[in-house]
Amino acid sequence: MVEMENIKVAQGHNKVLVIGGGLGGIRTALDLAESEKDVILVDKAYAVGGLMTQLDRTFPTNNCDLCTLSPNLSESGRKQHIELLTMTSVSGVRGEKGNFTVSLETAPRYINMDKCTACGECYKHFPECVRFTPGLDHRAPTCMRYPQATPQAFSVDLEKCTDINALIKICPAGAISPDDMGRRREVRCGSIVLSAGAALFDPSGLDYLGYSAEPDVVTNLEYERIMSASGPTMGQLVRPSNGKQPKKIAWIQCVGSRGLQKGAAPYCSSACCMIALKEAIVTKERFQNDIETAIFYMDMRTFGKDYELYLNRAKNKHGVRLIRSRPHSILRANNQDGLRLSYTTDDAGEMKNEDFDMVVLSTGFKIADDVRELSLKMGLTLNASGFAMTEEFSPVETSKSGIYVCGMSESPKDIPDTMVQASAAACMAGKDLEVSVKDPDGDLPPERDVTDEALRIGVFICDCGENIGGVLDVAKIAEYSQSLPNVVIAEPQGHGCSRQSMEQIQKSIIENKLNRVVIGGCSPRTHEAKFQEVIRRAGLNKFLVEIANIRDQATWVHAHLPEKATQKAQDLIRMAVGAVAEAHPLKEHNIPINKDVLVVGGGVTGMTTALRLADQGYKVYIAEKSDSLGGLGKVLHSTLSGVEVRPFVNDLIDKTKANANIQVILRAIIVDHSGMPGMFKTGMQTGPQMFYRTIQHGVTILATGAVANRPKQYLLGESEAVGTQLETDALLADAPETVKNWDNVVMIQCVGSRVPENPNCSRICCQSAIKNALRIRKLNPDGRIFVLYRDMRTYGFQEEYYLEARKQGVIFVRYSLDQLPKVEAAGNQVNVTFTDPILGRELMVTADRLCLSTGLAADEDSTEDLARIFKLPRTSDGFFLEDHVKLRPVDLPVPGFYVAGTAHSPKTIRESITQAQAVASRAQTLLARDSINLGAAVVRVDSNKCAACLICVRVCPFDVPFINADGYSEIDPAKCHGCGLCAAECPAKAIQLMQFEDDRIVAKLEQLFERMVG
Amino acid sequence: MENFEPVIVAFCCHYCAYTAADMAGSQRLTYPANIKIIRVPCSGKVDAIHIIKAFEKGADGVYVAGCLDGDCHFKNGNNRASRRVEYVQKYLDEIGIGGERLEMVKMSAGMGYLFAKIASEMTEKIRKLGPSPVRPLTVQASQPTAS
Repeated sequence: MVEMENIKVAQGHNKVLVIGGGLGGIRTALDLAESEKDVILVDKAYAVGGLMTQLDRTFPTNNCDLCTLSPNLSESGRKQHIELLTMTSVSGVRGEKGNFTVSLETAPRYINMDKCTACGECYKHFPECVRFTPGLDHRAPTCMRYPQATPQAFSVDLEKCTDINALIKICPAGAISPDDMGRRREVRCGSIVLSAGAALFDPSGLDYLGYSAEPDVVTNLEYERIMSASGPTMGQLVRPSNGKQPKKIAWIQCVGSRGLQKGAAPYCSSACCMIALKEAIVTKERFQNDIETAIFYMDMRTFGKDYELYLNRAKNKHGVRLIRSRPHSILRANNQDGLRLSYTTDDAGEMKNEDFDMVVLSTGFKIADDVRELSLKMGLTLNASGFAMTEEFSPVETSKSGIYVCGMSESPKDIPDTMVQASAAACMAGKDLEVSVKDPDGDLPPERDVTDEALRIGVFICDCGENIGGVLDVAKIAEYSQSLPNVVIAEPQGHGCSRQSMEQIQKSIIENKLNRVVIGGCSPRTHEAKFQEVIRRAGLNKFLVEIANIRDQATWVHAHLPEKATQKAQDLIRMAVGAVAEAHPLKEHNIPINKDVLVVGGGVTGMTTALRLADQGYKVYIAEKSDSLGGLGKVLHSTLSGVEVRPFVNDLIDKTKANANIQVILRAIIVDHSGMPGMFKTGMQTGPQMFYRTIQHGVTILATGAVANRPKQYLLGESEAVGTQLETDALLADAPETVKNWDNVVMIQCVGSRVPENPNCSRICCQSAIKNALRIRKLNPDGRIFVLYRDMRTYGFQEEYYLEARKQGVIFVRYSLDQLPKVEAAGNQVNVTFTDPILGRELMVTADRLCLSTGLAADEDSTEDLARIFKLPRTSDGFFLEDHVKLRPVDLPVPGFYVAGTAHSPKTIRESITQAQAVASRAQTLLARDSINLGAAVVRVDSNKCAACLICVRVCPFDVPFINADGYSEIDPAKCHGCGLCAAECPAKAIQLMQFEDDRIVAKLEQLFERMVG
Repeated sequence: MENFEPVIVAFCCHYCAYTAADMAGSQRLTYPANIKIIRVPCSGKVDAIHIIKAFEKGADGVYVAGCLDGDCHFKNGNNRASRRVEYVQKYLDEIGIGGERLEMVKMSAGMGYLFAKIASEMTEKIRKLGPSPVRPLTVQASQPTAS
């Protein structure tokens, strides 16, 4: 037990406590911070990032995570509204909504974070007691968790340290502090978000899978580490047993999920099918024909947006074998090299044996014991598996008012769903805070006009402890820098990024009347913003600084050749001095914001978003194309969990109509649109007379919904006995007497979905079939119900209802695309003929009712028009396409546009509400500001040079440039992403990218070769 | 020629290659000091003029380093860079500098080891090719200040 120090910190309660710094917690914290709300983010780990930082790549983009996540993390470290407490756990929660008191315990890191520069010297010399490892990969104790960790600091395990004094000495920054104590403190907050994530099922108890005995049997997370570039094998795929590349790999699904093994969870873990497909595809992409991949599965659950296409790609393009079977055992055959899987499939009655080099277990997710304990301590009601319970239509509200839940703590899910829920939780938790008064823009001095001044450059060289100073003589470099043209002062600056040094640099700029600054130090990637702030505080425009990266690019990589490192450091500084001489003061683009919101679509999603934003004081216009509110929600009666939909929707309509901040415009057809985020103008024709009116607004939210699909198949619309699940739902509510007389009911899944014409899965149909089957069963317990399916996709907790349906005798029969069921009319009934794959025989049922699971389709008419008017991209099946499927699932690629509900993809009401709350949060991140800062790294066009050749128009990846009425290219700084592709291609050199102007790049080249000619 | 130390300019995109170079540093990998990095927002920002200018000023080799295929932060800037590099290579062949002195490489932000590997390979390759034919004209008799 470590010693604890009690500290009392007086704090206001007007903030949100976020428990868990994984992807969900980070999203919640960032959303709140960007909405000008204060957050305390606690994580018990040494750095934030959670599970995702361990993954090699993520589906469906197969991108490298480090590249997509690390900017998010450093953003999270930077935001002024976020207080980040790592190695911290919550020990108690008192109070209620609006005024909680939370006890926190922070474990000692034994490293002074203010001094640590993350140089890694301690870890290099004492790997046994310095933590930079997750400890998750039991085969690689020294594997680096991930190199871009936030905070960028190590921690020390004092118990394993044998020579503390040596460890103290090795640290060049003097940051090791063995006297560090744990801290206990109490904080106050208005609301709490639980985003503690999930743990992974441990398969060691299942001896038939051989995980404990066979090194070549690994979990899916271990496989990710093996494939990861920063993993134990540096990304080399090798068998743990012998270090050789495997030729044949098998995945086994549902390990620890779907109630199959000892200790397994009853639910489906939702993400593992996609994870296995991704791992198999990435493996195939890397090794092509050198490697065979096979996935053993029960139901392939690729129910997310466009996930079915990913499954088809795995099968058809990459040749991943999919085998519907659960292997009986994994054994190493006598003295054999490979692992033998014994399994059977339903077309072959006998056991098959097949050898593999490696087996990956797709382990499911579960709630960790400490999270369960914490949830109970907070007074939350949990379900049997330990997840925080929520009401059907309040997806992120726990049983305790003021405490919200998101991500895996609510139910197992993938990253996009986690991100959506995290934003929803931010919306709800932020609502509980009092509206705070914003800080004025600090007390920055006015910017000095340097345009007519002669160049006065100051060069500051960091020694960064041993990192730079240990390899080269910083004083000599400073002396050398002093000799460069226009340099007024050059001096060594210890740790340039320490508070003390930054104050000195600031002072030096003022005293020496400097107008350009060069820092010789570390990477601009991590430190440019910091030094920009320093020179801004000294009254300079923040873009008049250049950083020479003499640490990462010289001393760290040429440490064994100090002379060459010195020479290169001088080169880099000379280049920076030359470039900064070409730097000009730049203005960041700001535009004032119109804070009104346009919501297109008045269904459950649109109304929920509107209400959440209206609560926060924003004026909201709902433009609904029909003559009433409610959308598809008005048609539906019951959910899978048996909650009635109508009362909820009616209540929502009443609240929307009564809200003074919401104006509902019915029969509204959007006809034109212009402007930029913060100042949009949308024209619409409204009412019976189709009057034209325009609305000015700052953000646009698309909640246009989807339509019930009705493919002309299986006698739909021809026979009385045939209907969709939606129609069956209505009969169950309105005509139970009719339903009672159905002795034989057949349901066909995937009607109009997962077929060549519409390849995607409609997500909701499996659960609606189960829902209706259970309801029919209740009315007529003796009737027979057949569900003809391809894969049952009852993800998450829906699995428990699937199990219940099977228990109640609902018969599930699989069919395949090449053996579709046949339906023939038979009087008031229909004859349904299908093949039972286990019996291998054709069966015929005369059904009183045939329910077709037809799902949802995009509303082609409206989405096509809206996509054209708003210039929004759509998926091939007509749904709006989000900006980033993983990290920005409800943000559209056009800034200021968001999408929620079934306009995004088919989903349940609960999921639509989650998205509605999420977009309300995302919209607030924009609306909370008074103006938008568009940055300065945008291109400028010199109209005198432009020949209107259209090359920029063609080359821009974001379709920003156009030829304006004056006949030259116009590039809107609000839309420019700053890549500079147009500048590179412009034949007249009429386009320049600010901060990366041609003069500046050429100056670097000239300076680099200066020493050779001079 | 024994002691020929080429100067090689590496234009690195901010999101992947430059980050990979930083990572090579934080992993303490080593590569020859001959590589001098110039940061650009996207490899697609590297103009043909910049490459030619580098050779004109005395570079013995140049490479443009961008993101892996499909990972470009700006959608397709890396592929545009590839095409431009191919074009400039032909041009370099024509004017007698030699297209083999210019290369396009791709890596992800996590691939510090690849950055170091490419830096070493490129240096070796250029060392074998010898000094750029442009160089003697500009250097003439003057000696480099450091050897």
